[in-house]
Amino acid sequence: MKPFGPTGAFAPERSFTGAAEAAPARNRVRLLAIGIFAVLLLLAGRAVQLAFSGDPLSERSRSAAVQVLPRADIVDRNGVLLATTVRAYALTATPSRVWDAPSIAASLASVFPELDRETVVRRLTDTSRQLVYLRRGLTPEERDRVHELGLAGIGFETEHHRDYPQGTLAAHTLGFTDVDLNALSGVERGLDAQIRAGGEAGRPVRLSLDVRVQYALEEELAAAARAAGASGGSAILIDGRTGETLALASWPTFDPNEAGRATENMRRDRVAGDLHELGSTIKPFTIAMALEEELTTSGELFDLSVPFDIDGSVIEDHEPVRGLASLRDILAHSSNIGAARLALRLGGARQRSYFERLGLTAPASLELGRNQAPLAPAARSRRDVAGLGFGYGLAATQATLAGAYTVFTNNGARVEPTLLARAPDAAIERTPVFSPEVTRQLMVYLRGVVTNGTGRAADVPGLAVAGKTGTAEKLGATSAYDESRNFSSFAGVFPSNDPRYVIVLALDDTGEGAAGGMVAAPAVARTLRRIAPMLGLRVEPRAPTR
Amino acid sequence: MGKAKLTGWLQIAAAILIAVLAVGLYRAKSDAARTEAHVRVLQADVEQREAALRELRAEIAQRESPANVEALAEERLGVVIGAESAALPESALSDRLPAPRPTERRE
Repeated sequence: MKPFGPTGAFAPERSFTGAAEAAPARNRVRLLAIGIFAVLLLLAGRAVQLAFSGDPLSERSRSAAVQVLPRADIVDRNGVLLATTVRAYALTATPSRVWDAPSIAASLASVFPELDRETVVRRLTDTSRQLVYLRRGLTPEERDRVHELGLAGIGFETEHHRDYPQGTLAAHTLGFTDVDLNALSGVERGLDAQIRAGGEAGRPVRLSLDVRVQYALEEELAAAARAAGASGGSAILIDGRTGETLALASWPTFDPNEAGRATENMRRDRVAGDLHELGSTIKPFTIAMALEEELTTSGELFDLSVPFDIDGSVIEDHEPVRGLASLRDILAHSSNIGAARLALRLGGARQRSYFERLGLTAPASLELGRNQAPLAPAARSRRDVAGLGFGYGLAATQATLAGAYTVFTNNGARVEPTLLARAPDAAIERTPVFSPEVTRQLMVYLRGVVTNGTGRAADVPGLAVAGKTGTAEKLGATSAYDESRNFSSFAGVFPSNDPRYVIVLALDDTGEGAAGGMVAAPAVARTLRRIAPMLGLRVEPRAPTR
Repeated sequence: MGKAKLTGWLQIAAAILIAVLAVGLYRAKSDAARTEAHVRVLQADVEQREAALRELRAEIAQRESPANVEALAEERLGVVIGAESAALPESALSDRLPAPRPTERRE
């Protein structure tokens, strides 16, 4: 076989004429050869590329290993799960395939008694729609039960559901989402972008909360609020050096898994959302301002035995201080007269400047859905300045107050509270307010409040608690202060010999006589007894009496 | 003659090579498709297992929650932490704690 060569007897002759004819054929062969060579070159190139580019399948499987979720897990500072996204199912129906809607509605009611039968029948017979939703957020068990009914036209769609495994714990802080996982409140809303980004990257969002501390604080707050007959309660515990919030509690509380069933009152975040006149918990700042501005000294003595008249408005102390009183006595006995006199020496402008640096005129920076801005109108009269000196005329949240108290844990500088866990080497922004000397002096006075003053019930042997009680009368229906309705609180710092933590606990609408030192301070002591070991602090119990 | 013959054979070899490459490519593609399908199945399985794992983690967190642990302690061991703390006065609480250990006093 000679596939393409010349044949026959007159080959030379033909070869002459054939050579001319064969030239285009040779060109075609050459072209074909070049084409084949090019194809082979391409294939070889691709083979080399594949050889050096790794296995594309393994790349795909690696990316698939991280499951993309609409919302990331939320964990506490120790990695304990607070919120997660789990599988759920939506109960759907195809109306065109439903034959006996009332019968199907009756069957579904046996699994979901809360389903409104009429609504279900209406949806099942709505043939204008291809698919209708009957119920969202079914658990796998509920889905199985419906599946066992074998209903024609009834189906399921896989979806995601937000689950809060700790139940009511830290409910106000975590917040909740709607059925489509849109954030509605709490850190779910405050950190929405971060939580969504974390879900895509498979990375949890780590909060500064500690569930053990949170639980103890919530339980003690609830017990204190019930015992005092309060309408609500709030408490916050901060690591004052870093600003990390270890616990944040509001009472009454609710279960975010069933947020729809809770009342508005239960869902209300009272720590960062409720405004109250701060009362006497602000007095330490008034004294610190006066000391900082050198308007008084620790040796000055005040006569507080007579009511103080300011342009016709008389300021009195609930329990008049007998004899001459020092700055320490003003704080220990929570003297309104003493605080008012110091505030007047300071003047409205300087007072306002300090309030601003203490963060008392701006909303707290907690990563929540809502941080209520304080009501802090500028003082227009001497009476206003005096009132601000002992805690009236400035309404702020307990989160704001706790942030201000961090000056006692940072040598006079304030740290913004946060709900995010900080890295150990993270840079912390501090706003200087008072000098270290003034802060140390104030710590001695605040310790005196707990050892000899109105806050004795907050004392925990061995823990050296320092702090200030607060009892602010609430405005009544006639816009006058009502003695029978109090906002009772205690703001404390511990341990006073090496101040690190700030705790604020407040009870709303306590009755007449239920001062902060009587209802809030004991709750703080009970809380601190429980949480001190969790914070690595030692409580020294009194020796048993024989 | 010899050159032309060689060229002819080369052409046949090239045609066979192309055919082999085409078959090889087809097989490689079908293998890849099969592998991809297998990967998809595995991926779906991983997703299922991950979802189940997430549910289990949520259940573990619920069971280990302080409220649940306290309820169990109360039910099985009779330990009532919160209620005691809420009901007892400070002095009674102190008495229930262990006595402080004696410490050496430095002169």
